[in-house]
Formats: sequence, C-alpha cells, structure tokens
Amino acid sequence: MPNDQEQEPNRDIKTHSNTKALKIGLGAIVGAALIAAEAKAKTEENLPDLNFPIPLTQDFPSDKIVLRMQRELQQALLKPEQQRKWAMVIDLRKCIGCHSCTVACQAENVLPPGVIYRPVTEQEGGVYPQVRLHFLPQPCMHCTIPPCTKVCPVAATYKRDDGVVVVDYTKCIGCQRCISVCPYGARSFDKGSYYTNSTPQHEPYESEPSFEYGGDWFRQPGSIKPPINKVRKCHFCLERIEAGMLPACVNTCLGRATYFGDLNNDTSLINGLIKSNSVMKLKEELKTGPNVYYLV
Amino acid sequence: MNTNQKSGLTRRDFIKSTALLGGCSVLASQMGILGTPSSAEAATTEEGNLYPLAQPENIIYTTCLQCTTACLVKVKLLNGVAMKIDGNPYSSTNLLPNLSYTLSPLVSSQVDGKSCCKGQAGVQTAYDPYRLRKVLKRVGPRGSGKWKSVPFDQAVQEIVHGGQLFEEIGEERNIQGIKDIAILRDAKLMSSMAKDVESIRSKKMTVQEFKSKYQDNLKYLIDPEHPDLGPKNNQFLFQVGRIHNGRIEFTRRFVKNALGSINWIEKTSICGQTSNKAWVASTNLFKEGKWTGGTKTVRPDWANTEFVLVVGTRVFEANYGPVQEAEPITDGIINGRLKLAVVDPQLSKVASKAWKWLPSKPGTDGALGLGLIRWILENNRFDKKYLQNANLAAANADMESTWSDSSYLVKIVNGRPEKFLRANEVKLGTENQFVVFFQGNFIAVDPNSTQKEIEGELFVTTQLEGIMLKSSLQLLKEEAFSRTLQEYADITGLAIQDIIDVAKEFTSHGKKAAVEFYRGAVKHTNGWYNAQALIALNFLIGNPNWEGGLAKPAGGWDYLGSSGHNKPYNVNKLHPGKLSAFGVPITREGWQYEESTLFKGYPALRPWYPFSGNVAQETWPSISDAYPYSMKIVLLHSHNPMYSLPGGSHQLKTLLDTSKVPLLIASDIIIGETSMYADYIFPDISYLEQWGTGQMPQHYRVKTSSVRQPVIAPLTETVVVNGEKLPICLETLMLAIAAEMGLSGFGQDGFDKGIDLKRPEDWYLKLVANIAYGDKAGEVVPDADQKELLLFQKSRRNLTDSLFNEEKWKSALKPEEWRKVVCVLNRGGRFESYDHAYSSNQEKYPFTGIMRFYLEEIGTSRHAMSGQYFWGHAVYDEITDSMGQPVPVDGDYKLITYKEVFGTQSRTIADYWLETDIANQNFVLLNSQDAKQLGLKNGDKVRLSSKSNPQGIQDLGNDRSRYVEGIVKIREGIRPGVVAVSTHYGHWAYGANDMEIDGVVIHGDSRRVKGTHVNPIFRLDDHLRGTTLSEPIGGSASFYDTWVKVLKV
Repeated sequence: MPNDQEQEPNRDIKTHSNTKALKIGLGAIVGAALIAAEAKAKTEENLPDLNFPIPLTQDFPSDKIVLRMQRELQQALLKPEQQRKWAMVIDLRKCIGCHSCTVACQAENVLPPGVIYRPVTEQEGGVYPQVRLHFLPQPCMHCTIPPCTKVCPVAATYKRDDGVVVVDYTKCIGCQRCISVCPYGARSFDKGSYYTNSTPQHEPYESEPSFEYGGDWFRQPGSIKPPINKVRKCHFCLERIEAGMLPACVNTCLGRATYFGDLNNDTSLINGLIKSNSVMKLKEELKTGPNVYYLV
Repeated sequence: MNTNQKSGLTRRDFIKSTALLGGCSVLASQMGILGTPSSAEAATTEEGNLYPLAQPENIIYTTCLQCTTACLVKVKLLNGVAMKIDGNPYSSTNLLPNLSYTLSPLVSSQVDGKSCCKGQAGVQTAYDPYRLRKVLKRVGPRGSGKWKSVPFDQAVQEIVHGGQLFEEIGEERNIQGIKDIAILRDAKLMSSMAKDVESIRSKKMTVQEFKSKYQDNLKYLIDPEHPDLGPKNNQFLFQVGRIHNGRIEFTRRFVKNALGSINWIEKTSICGQTSNKAWVASTNLFKEGKWTGGTKTVRPDWANTEFVLVVGTRVFEANYGPVQEAEPITDGIINGRLKLAVVDPQLSKVASKAWKWLPSKPGTDGALGLGLIRWILENNRFDKKYLQNANLAAANADMESTWSDSSYLVKIVNGRPEKFLRANEVKLGTENQFVVFFQGNFIAVDPNSTQKEIEGELFVTTQLEGIMLKSSLQLLKEEAFSRTLQEYADITGLAIQDIIDVAKEFTSHGKKAAVEFYRGAVKHTNGWYNAQALIALNFLIGNPNWEGGLAKPAGGWDYLGSSGHNKPYNVNKLHPGKLSAFGVPITREGWQYEESTLFKGYPALRPWYPFSGNVAQETWPSISDAYPYSMKIVLLHSHNPMYSLPGGSHQLKTLLDTSKVPLLIASDIIIGETSMYADYIFPDISYLEQWGTGQMPQHYRVKTSSVRQPVIAPLTETVVVNGEKLPICLETLMLAIAAEMGLSGFGQDGFDKGIDLKRPEDWYLKLVANIAYGDKAGEVVPDADQKELLLFQKSRRNLTDSLFNEEKWKSALKPEEWRKVVCVLNRGGRFESYDHAYSSNQEKYPFTGIMRFYLEEIGTSRHAMSGQYFWGHAVYDEITDSMGQPVPVDGDYKLITYKEVFGTQSRTIADYWLETDIANQNFVLLNSQDAKQLGLKNGDKVRLSSKSNPQGIQDLGNDRSRYVEGIVKIREGIRPGVVAVSTHYGHWAYGANDMEIDGVVIHGDSRRVKGTHVNPIFRLDDHLRGTTLSEPIGGSASFYDTWVKVLKV
C-alpha cells in the first residue's frame, strides 16, 4: 500500500512579502514578458518563465465582454495604482441565481466553512400567480467611505489607492469590530474550521494555499496561523487582477451579469453600462459610497 | 527552503506538522481503512510567480462529469491537488467566442471560461473523504454495513470462479462465478445462433428447426424452447449509471463482445430519454424503405431566437445546461431580442425572466400543445409553404433543408390510422414511395428525390381504390380539433387567453421561434405524446435549421474511427474473436412482444419496450419476476437505483434476496445507497482521474470533441494486471476479469496482433488519435511543438506512474500520432471556432430528414400488457398504468420533483460548497393557499404518503426504516395543489451512514442525511409488483404522476 506519510515532498512555492505583493507595480513588465519567455524556451529544455500579466494579443478574440474587460484591466495596470479605481457592475436583470460566482470565490480563495465572500440571495415577491423572483449577489461594496476601516484598532484593514478594501492578515488581531460595523455583512471571521472536519480524513484541497493579496496562505488542521483567526472578505481577487486577470466571479458568471473594470477609464465597459442603464447601489442612504453598481 | 513570512512556517515544518497531526488524530485509524491515497511524486511549483494558478504547467484541461452535460473544464493544480475548476476557454460551450485552437496553451492560461457551481465543486467530489481505495467484501448480510477489505486479485478470482464465497459468515450457498455464466465463447457459433434467432424473430425459422440445427449446443441457451432469450451469458447484467462516450464503448466491448451478454443497460430512462427518443423518431430519415437515423437533441438556437416557449424544463438549473444556455438567453432578454414563455407548475429561475409564467397542471403538456396547434391551424398561422413540400427537391427550391410528412397519406382501417400508403399499393410507384394528393391528383413521392419537386395538400380526407386515406397533418388536425380551446384550458388549468397569447406570439416571429422541453413534459405516462405535440409545434412554423429556430448540435469528430477516411483506429473492428451478443434483454427493450417466442396473448407478464432502450426501472422488478429469465450476476456501476429511481426502494427486497441476485458486484467511487447492498465493491476512480471522450454539447453549433483525461493522481490502490501497474477502477476490473478468463479483445494482442489492450490508455489514446486526425482530408490537428511537449510532461508531473507514464502512453500509438494527440490533450479536446456556426441564415450543421407528424411504426404497435394500440400522432392522453387504466386521483396534491442548479440526483451530496453552503437541506414546497388550508407554516414538519406507500415509510433493509418527512417552505411561485421537493438530499449512504470496515467503525457525516428524499412514495403501477409508472414508448420512468397526502407531524 503506497503511503506518502514518510516522504518529504519537495513542495516549494516561492513566498512573497505582503508588502511586495500588494504594492508591486506589475504594469511595468507587461509587454516584454512574452517575447522574453519565447526566446528563453527556444534555448532551454524548460518552459518559458512567464511573467504575468501577459497581454492579450490580437491572437485572442476581440469579444465584447469578457476579453474586452480583461484587456481594459491590463491597460489599467499600466497606470500607477492611484490612477485606477476598480469597481464592479452587476446586472440584476441578467443574474440567474446560479451561485457560480459564490463557489468560484470559495475555491479561488480556499474559504473555510462559514466564510463566504460573495453570497447570492434569492427573494420571492408578489402573490400567486403574479410572482417575481429576484437574485442578489453581494460581494464587498469596496465603499468609498468604508465604515469598517475606521474601527480597526491596528490599521490592518484599509482602502488601497485603487479602491480595494483589504485586510492585512499579518496585522489583523481578529477583534472583529469591522465585522459588526459593516452594513453589508461583507466580512466574516475565519474560525479555523474545515469542510472535512469530522469525516474520515481531511482533504488536501483545504490545506493547499490561497494566494490572496499575492501571498500564499496555508490553512491546515490544528494551525492558528493566518488567515485563521483573521477577518476575511472579498478583495476583488487582487491576486488575479495583478496577474492581469478578472476576478473569479466575473469570469464564471453564467448569465454574464457581472462586470469589472476601472472607473477612471471613461471608455471602459463598466462606465458604459453605468451610463446607459438605470443604476442602484445598496443602502445608499448610509453614504458609504459603494463601488458595486447594480443595474436594475 | 523558503520561509513563509506570514505563517512563520518553513515548508519542511509544514509537512512535518501535518504528518504529526495525522499521527495523533483519532481519524488516523480510519484513514488506514479507507486507505491513504497513493503517493504523488514530489512536486515543484514554478518559483517567482505571485499567482501559480495561472501557470500553464499547473493546468490540465479535461471534461466535467458533475452532471451529464460534459462541459469542458480547466483544472488548476497545486502540488498535484486540484484546487480550482474553471471553464475551458478553447470551447465555445465555456467561453464565447472561444479561443483559437491554434493558440498555444502556454499563453492562454490567463483566460478562464465559465463553469457552473456544480462543475466547480467537482473538487469535493474527487476529494470526498468517503472515497473507496480498496476492494470491499461484505462480512454480514447484504446491507449490514459490515465489510472487510480484500486484495484485488483475490476478489477478482472469487467473482470469476465463484464457490462458497460467504462461507465464513455462514452462507453455505454455492455461487456461480462469471466463468460459469459466460459459457458461450465461440464467436462463430454465437454469430450463427444470433442470425438464426433473427430468423425466428421474423418467423422465417421455427424453434424446432433451430433446436435441431444446434442440437449439440443447446446447453449454452437459457431455455432451448426459447432460443430468442439468448445464451446463458445474458444472465450477467451490467447496469450502469452516468457513463460517457469512450467508457461506454470500452464497457460494451467487455460486456457484449467479450463476455457475450446482451445486458448492458444504462440508466437513461430516468433522464430525458423519452424526449430524445421522440426527437429521433420525429426527425428520422427514410432510407431504403426504413425509418432510420434522426437527431436526438434538437434544441432552440438560443443565440438568435426571438421567442421560445419553454415547457417544464429548467434551463437555468438543469437541462443541458445553464453554462451554455444562460448567456444567450439573458443577453437576448436585455437586448430586446428574446421573449420567453415558461410553462411549469413551479416558478423556475428561467420563469423568473419570462414574459409569461404559465403554471399548468402537471402532466397536461400534450393538451397545451394540442390547444396551441388548434389555434394555429384555425387561424392559418402555420408555414404552409414549408409544410406542403413533400420531398427534398421541393424543400431545396424553397431554400429549406428539411421537409415534413404533412401531406403523406395514411391508410385508415376500421377508423384507426395505420401505415402510410405506399405507391406500389395503388400502382403509382414503388414500395419505397409515399403518396400525396395535390390539385386533384394522387402523386407518388420519393421523399429523398432531388429531381422532381413534389408538393402535397395538407388537409386531405379521401379514398383511393377502396382505401380510406387521410393526410398526416389531417390526423393531427382532427385530434387537435377534438377539444375546444376552453377544454384545453380546463385540462391544463391555464387561462384560455394565455393559450391564445402564446400561440400568437409563437407565430409572430417567422422561423425565429421554438418550443423547448425536456424532462418536465416527458416524465409522465403520457410523455411520448406530450413530446410529439410540442415537436409538432416547431414543425408547424417550419423552423428546423433556421437561425433562431431549431438546431441540432454539431457533434464532434468520430472518435471510434469507424467513418473511414484516414482514421487511425477503427476500435470496434479491432477485436479478434469478437462475440456478438444476442437475445431479448432483461428489460425486453428493442423487441416487440409479438415477435418473441414468449408471446401468449395479452397481457404479457411485464411490459415490452420495442422503441426504447436502457429502461432502468425495469431491471430489478424483471429480475424479481425472472421475466424473461432469471439473473445470476449483476455488476452495478455508478448507478444508484435505490436512491434515484422513482419507487426504487420497493425493489430493495430483490437486492437483498440472494436467490434472485446470487452475486451482486458494485463498482463505484463510494459506498452508495445501492452499492451498500452489494457483495463486493470495487473502487472506481473519479472523473478527475478517468479517461473518456465526453458527450457533445447540445447548445452550440460548432464541432466539439471533448476529452476526459487523468488530472490528479488516482486515489485508489495500485494493482498489477497483465504485468501492468494500474489504479483500481472500472477498466482495471474489466481488464482483470478478461485476463483471468482469457476473454477476447483485451490483454495481449487485444486489438490485433502486436497491439495490446492492457492499460486504459491503450484504448482511450486511440480514440483521441481518431479525433486528432479529423473526419476528412486536411482535418488533422497540428503537431505539438517542443514547448507543448514539455508543457504536457510538466503539467502531469504529479500523476503517478500507474496513471501517467509517457513511454507507455506513447506505446499505445504510432510514433507519428503522438504529437497530434498531445495537441488535443493539451487543450482538453478539439474545438471548432464559433465563427463557423452559421451560413446564410441557417445552421452550418443542419439535421436532415423528414419532420414527422405521424409515426407509422408506433401507430401500428401494441402495448404488451393492455394490448392497446399506440397512437402514431400527438394526442392528449390521461395518466394511465400499464393496463391502460387511468390512475385515479388518490391523494390531495400532485407531487413534482426538480433539480436545483447546485445538485444532481444522488452524486453531489459530497460537495459541501453546494449542498451544505448554498442550502443544507431541501424543503417541501407548497403554495400559501394550500399551507393555509393545512394549517401549515414555514418550518413545520410534514410526512408525505401516497397510495403506493400509505404510511410514508422508507424501508432501509435489515429492520431499519424511516419516514418520508420534510420541512415546509411556503412559496407563492408554485401552483396550488402541487407539492414540490428537490431530489438531491436525504441520503442514507454515500457517506451518510456508519460503516464497519475491517472491524473499525467509520462514522457517517450527519450533513449528508439532512433533507427529504421522496422517491419511496412515488406512485407504482398496480400491475407490476413494485415498479414505478412508466411511459411505454420512450420508456421513461414517471416522475410527476404521484398524488400525495401531506400530514403535519
């Protein structure tokens, strides 16, 4: 019977400091990366050393939605961080309540039980036979004036220059004050639980790392290392953005209801959608200034 | 060694700490029993990247199997662990427009296609803590939950050779092994007998003649008095649940062509089978006097259509499936292109986007169809020009690619429509020509003629040479006009104005409209006729093959290599000593009762299914009745009839009865609700470890050949068969049985001299090669270049030797094929560009054939039990049992079931992201009006019961049982009088129950028990001893014909 308990697999993932990951100006290395990679591959029995983001050349389709957004995102990455402003648009008319985004997010960020970054709720209205059914995906609103960051005693959670509200797991003390002040219920606490607790064995998909904020975060049964005992939330898949990719929920949206982009780009798809449709934000009266726009 | 600055752990520490925790954990002892996973080779993830999931060498493309749609997926791996599943952007099913096939996977890794939540949760299906690693043999009575692990080789020996296999637990009976059942192994003799049985079937040979011809070989037959039952080999049944191309043919090769049993039976009659069969029959070709061919999955062209009437199918939740269908629908609605009307007793997600939601009474879809047909005919809103075309020449003249049988004349005998009149009967032409009436003349029609355009009048009632004749469309008209619109409204429970509005809308978009249906309309006893009525609506507006109308899936490239041109491997021909299984299957499918030697007048003991196949609900009760013969050995693979079949649990007694099923073997990834009653369970590998060639997507009109291939290291034990190291799986089991018995077609020289079939990839890579070489000249895929070869190796660096050994893979192919096969594997299949979907407003891959309103072969056949003739055209039929008697209203509410978008029937309960997080149980849904009447509020517990299960009790075997109970949820979006329960909760196995293996108790997971499972209360057929009601033509099990009582507890 094969048994890998005794072996010492050489499993190396290069680690990066949080600061480096979050602040690195990846835009600068776009362009040359691919050419360099091709050249390298020709001379060595090695795969090209890809540096993301890899620009979407004209070899990729010029579609009107997903790849357009990905191209716009890569364009935005070329600018300094403070000159881009990430925002999400969710077209509720196109949301079919498929929960694809929710699960994509869970897998992408290796979320434990009890932590959901992007729930989709379902609401029925009316009286038979005049009945309506609505679906509401609800990521973090990445508020312009976020109530959550103000109450953090250690400045572990803050709004980045590009608008993304983040949590620095190395600083978070798990006091959970931010959870209670978020009007959108967008934050949750990582209690260190696992889906395969109380089953015959823990499964490996729960203890391989997530790459949130450009790090590699291992959760493992019995451990109390971050992100365990930290507050967790949607960060627009920052690690994907910085690799030149869209947030996971955007790519996987079955009804193509979720859009993402740079508000500071006047010609971006999301700006077009916001301008030409009737737009709603959640709990606008609280003046938090959500950066998630709902089309209704 | 890098230090993880956040966690403060070095990698070495990390590994040590997990090992230590494992050692201390109480769970450790259990791990040894289910077994530890086979070891993965040391893994190294590329350094220097912030986001390893986008690295090409951490990605393998494969094909999903979380439902049967078979989406193309992209699996992202870390250290060999599947972490994230996305859609494969090379396929238009998962990204629209899809990436160019020539784009290197080295640069495309940053583009993700879409995948539904089930698809993404496949990680949890593969890494289910209850997965089996070793072979289990029961050490208590069937269903006791007591097992011991046994070596694979020993288990194979035991099932092949038989004996007193359960002596140690006090069962003295001697069990026949597979070698005692599969006794006819002489290919020549079998083929000769098979031919002569066909002669008996067509009454060209008598049983006596057969017996004297084969007097020395009668010992091989189940019953020499009934040679058409076939050889004793047929007493081996392979019953299979979800299985896809590639694996289908591999297992058929084993069952039919190596073991020589006719009984390879899938579970499709609990899926949308009647819909598929009705489409095939309604789109048949007419060749050399026979109805043949046809298209099974005709679908609306969602991307261009302007109006679709969706009848009882949840296209955003199930169907084939939301990944493909959602975007063209939501896009169409927002852009004002598309309008939907949805007929469903429940407000489904797609109904929430509809212009009209029509909450009809369950089982009345045929009446709705006929009501619409009536209005359309009455108001001349049909495409007369299209319908009058009687042959290909006439169709082509109108730029049409299909035509219909509307004008073909049907003989009326004693007031009942029989066959189409053939031209030779009235001396107008040949026996392969039909006759139409046009402008006062009777004209012979060769339907396929491209020479002479022939049209026919649509509504004809006439006589010729004393024969009463009516045109096909006249028959439908008379049926539709037999009731008033008001009567149709009353039957369906819909407002007459709604029916009219829908009919008007449907006929206001030219050919850019369609009627779409699937399970909801057909899983009734009248489902076949419902399907025919809904299909007829499409034909009436002449929408086949038009952009925005009806389209057929483009299919893929021939993977079996049988199409001739330049195909490297015709795998089904490459089989020395191939047996030709023959005889009546245990389900009596594909046979007319009247043509069998068992015919003794009506009623037969059980129904026959001449127009169907894979009638899953018939296997266990037929075994119980030993009709047409008894069964000796059942190999059950990935099928869970106790859970998934309506009323399936009523056959538990058969499963538990060792005299009726002497040897019950299961092959599955877990211990499920049916395999828990087996004698042996052989572990299988999950779809992320498996091979296959998938299904074709149904909603995109460009060629797609999906490939399923190993993505993660196998979780089952490694064994040696024919000297090859293999993971235990279904293929390994079959290879081992074949080796032990010396069966043809497997092992050394299994394909041909010098071409072995010793490893799964010896089979599957040949299928991939067939795909790579295309179907016509110049269609070969490019060779993978050096970089792609390197990527191919690197991305498989964590697969174990038993699954991936490059040299072994190469040896399955000819050297020149290797790089082409790598090209296909590196992309997870072969995909045409979406740009190729249409040409001049028509589908580029049209279906051809005659759109048939009247199915003469069905209209002239009789139900084997009631003896009643079927109808050849659409009718509205009540819900009836096998004796043709109406099923009375024997409860207060009609029960319907459905699938949530996050569940399939029995196989998603391990997916905690879905069935724990999205909803941790299902509910008994009913309308507020009903709740009020019953005094129920949200959260109340109710017990459900029916005529067939008046106590609402489910027997679990071994003196255990439970009530069919659930929690009430009150909804407005459900028709009053209807109760709805979804179908993927309430497990009692599949990790839900405690088991004892090698003396150690493995505790079940209480999360998997939650919710309600209603199949035990489904309405049974009063004449069939524990069998659900069934639709007799397409063979569907009825899912929505049960009246229930709701009792507050």
